[in-house]
Amino acid sequence: MNYTFQFGVVWRDLGALMDGALVTFQLGLLAFWGGALIGLAGAALKTFGPRPVRALVDTYVVFLTNTPALIQIYFLYFGLAEFRIRWSGEFCLLLGLTLNAGAYLTMIMRAGFLSVRRAEMEAGEVLGMTRLQQISYIIAPHIARTIYPALANFFIVILVMGTSIGAVIGVDELTGTAITLATVNYRWLEYFTVVAGLYIVLTLIASVGLALFGRWAFRVKARVF
Amino acid sequence: MPHLEVRDVVARYGSHEVLSGVSLDVDRGEVVALVGPSGSGKSTVLRVLVGLLQPVSGSVRVGGQAVDYRSAGQVRAIRNRMAIVFQQYNLFQNMDVMRNVTLAPIRIKRRDRREVETLAVALLERVGLGQKLHAFPDELSGGQQQRVAIARALALRPEILLLDEVTSALDPELVNEVLDVIRDLAREGMTMILVSHEMAFVREVADRVVMMDKGQVIESGPPAEILDAPRTERAREFFGKILRH
Ligand SMILES: Nc1ncnc2c1ncn2[C@@H]1O[C@H](COP(=O)(O)OP(=O)(O)OP(=O)(O)O)[C@@H](O)[C@H]1O
Ligand SMILES: [Mg+2]
Repeated sequence: MNYTFQFGVVWRDLGALMDGALVTFQLGLLAFWGGALIGLAGAALKTFGPRPVRALVDTYVVFLTNTPALIQIYFLYFGLAEFRIRWSGEFCLLLGLTLNAGAYLTMIMRAGFLSVRRAEMEAGEVLGMTRLQQISYIIAPHIARTIYPALANFFIVILVMGTSIGAVIGVDELTGTAITLATVNYRWLEYFTVVAGLYIVLTLIASVGLALFGRWAFRVKARVF
Repeated sequence: MPHLEVRDVVARYGSHEVLSGVSLDVDRGEVVALVGPSGSGKSTVLRVLVGLLQPVSGSVRVGGQAVDYRSAGQVRAIRNRMAIVFQQYNLFQNMDVMRNVTLAPIRIKRRDRREVETLAVALLERVGLGQKLHAFPDELSGGQQQRVAIARALALRPEILLLDEVTSALDPELVNEVLDVIRDLAREGMTMILVSHEMAFVREVADRVVMMDKGQVIESGPPAEILDAPRTERAREFFGKILRH
């Protein structure tokens, strides 16, 4: 094998790649928070909602967790275009990832809802809390604390796997940017080596940030690594 | 007129009738001990009173006013007047001691933060936890947690305090620290319904003992009378068993 690595071109494009990494990070963060809100609402409705609402939540979860995120995003981007609904690639990616994350996080948070001590809920109730207050003062912090590691892992999944789908619908996140640039000078190996490095840096930043945040906000006794 | 008047209350879990016509009076400043075998419905009486279980029939009056447990507003109102402490303390695990005590008065009842915090510190000091204001429940012993739970209930400034076997989940050496707090409250004239298996303590603090069996009140009277000279065979059997150990 006679391949000579030439990182020179890649360094020149480092600025563009960093911009891509920033987009990736922002998309990951937005999709995760949007998904977490949907997940919290979904888990609440699944637990306390009337039967038809629970069935609706089930349908949503089953559909979105049993089809590839790529297909869901294609559907939003290409599928809806058939009905003259044209959204930008960024928006479709963000919406798709958020809805997809919402479905997974509904399942993850549902486990948190079920593990709340009924007794704590009753204590809240007799202190005069409404359902919504019980959710925000008792369940949400409990979920945050007990399933925080699962949530943090899921954030990493969105960050590295989810957002890279953007590459196929022309979003300039990290993978997409690298593909666009490599198409010009065919330095695939160099670009992807650097991109892999950037993903690892993003993941490390996210992991450390999440572990510190979890420790500070919820007393989660997670190790940083 | 009794401050709390319970009349012919019937309550069910599903189709299982747990209370079959319970009547009970509590005067202002009175300590009523609710005793009886396991499963006789003592906890259920307290759960009905605070609106955790809707009675099927019967009536509850507080300060002469009938309470309609089907009305969310009235249930909320009743929870402003009665506080309950459970056997398993039920502290909020994600909050420190101070927040456990102040959350409901500040965020739910919308009382003044300063006033509530001052009261909370005073209450926690009086139950001997002045040094633990910022500890979390999982850093406290069972007895300490139960004392926090009592402080949390008192922070609501209830007219009536309901205590459901508050010492039975505790290690024996921790029981007394909790009983001391209840003894103090009784001395200060707090109106209480106390479910307990600690007969010596019941004899000491209760003004009246109400004995339940199979969802009904079978005897009621001063401790000396009920504990020492029960009229019914069932009560004699129960006290014979419980006082022997
Ligand atoms: N959540 C529930 N669902 C169904 N049945 C229940 C429930 N809670 C209590 N019961 C039943 O109601 C009856 C009375 O229970 P309760 O807890 O009031 O008794 P208790 O006198 O407090 O007993 P203990 O001394 O054991 O606490 C029991 O037969 C019990 O099995
Ligand atoms: Mg009980």
